[in-house]
Amino acid sequence: MTLKLYGYSVATGTRRVAVVLHEMNVPFKLIPVDLRKGEQKSPEFMRYQPFGLTPYIDDDGFILYESRAICYYIASKYSNQRISLIPSELKANALFHQAASTELTSFDEYAAEIAKEKITVPLLGGTTDEVAYERLLSTLSAKLDVYDVILSKQKYLAGDEVTLADLYHLPCGDLLYRAGTDVLETRPNVKRWWDDISSRPSWAAVKDGVKGTTN
Amino acid sequence: MAFTNLKLYGRPLSSATRRAAVILIEKKVPFEFVLVPNREHKAPEYLKKHPFGQIPLIEEPDGFRLYESRAIGRYIAEKYASQGTPLLPTELKAKAIFEQAASSELANFDFLASQAVKEVIGKKREGLTPDYDRFNEIYSELSAKLDAYEIILSKQKYIAGDEITLVDLFHIPFGSSLVTIVPDVFEKRPNVSRWWNDISSRPSWQSVKEGVHSTA
Repeated sequence: MTLKLYGYSVATGTRRVAVVLHEMNVPFKLIPVDLRKGEQKSPEFMRYQPFGLTPYIDDDGFILYESRAICYYIASKYSNQRISLIPSELKANALFHQAASTELTSFDEYAAEIAKEKITVPLLGGTTDEVAYERLLSTLSAKLDVYDVILSKQKYLAGDEVTLADLYHLPCGDLLYRAGTDVLETRPNVKRWWDDISSRPSWAAVKDGVKGTTN
Repeated sequence: MAFTNLKLYGRPLSSATRRAAVILIEKKVPFEFVLVPNREHKAPEYLKKHPFGQIPLIEEPDGFRLYESRAIGRYIAEKYASQGTPLLPTELKAKAIFEQAASSELANFDFLASQAVKEVIGKKREGLTPDYDRFNEIYSELSAKLDAYEIILSKQKYIAGDEITLVDLFHIPFGSSLVTIVPDVFEKRPNVSRWWNDISSRPSWQSVKEGVHSTA
């Protein structure tokens, strides 16, 4: 049975999972969940995802939520067939988890809030809190200064091979551009790394909205 | 400089330092605790070891270094899988559920709990006045997440299944701080309460609760 991805075509988590489905060549159907209508808070949805957040997958009856957990599962399950996005050696694996944890605590936390303040709030008819935005941007900038140091010594965040930890950055990184910031452009090593990961075919396939690959 | 035991750099009452220490103790890995005094975590010497200038950090005798408390926990649980408490599942689907719980702990619990704790305990420690309106806003969001935890924990013993894993233990430091602000935060939900009492009564937490110290 084809994997079903329950999500919203332009939502961050949905795009994150779809990147990895494309990387691992896994066919999938997108089952739309309309966030604008609050479908993710319906009893039918929350029966499978108790936090009422997109996305979740149904892989032949196996239900899984949290986009990064889904990415990890797909990359693990199909790791023999395609490229390996999770290093298996003990220390390399530890450095992967260090980079993946960093993505959540040092990047996503600020980038997602910036996107919310600059894109979502005006979209819903509100006004951007410019003070909060400047504070978030300043913190993110300091973190990206460190990214630039790390990426001056190695090609990707966990070492010299691309891993899930790099790909996790794609959706929110993209939103930073849409929010009107150039933080990913102004540091040479960060720019090199960002241009590399964002030019992958898997990202091109989902960047402007996720579509299922089968009917 | 040669040393024989793993070094854990941090501060005794830091949540993230205690998070890593709990795992080291559960896995029976002796460690030397190295205090990083306030402000020294941003000094050039320390930044060479930890580019983000944060605590904790571990350093092994062979020179291997690792930061991010949860990555440290995972590495120790994996490396010492055959000793101490088993804290990581091995089968594909159980590992997926574990990753689901791990991601959820960060995004749904830690993200809110850390802000709530910082708003009250953090500000008081710095001699500032907490903004209780902001605290209540964060707490209200966190309560909704704990309602989801209540449903999850009504079907299984621990957060990633019926066996304890790293993810249960990751919750303890901020959970414990939350209880000092809102005493019945976990108590008011029967399954969450059962789970909280179970994990927070473990000897590993009891031995670092009041402060981390060397075990080697």
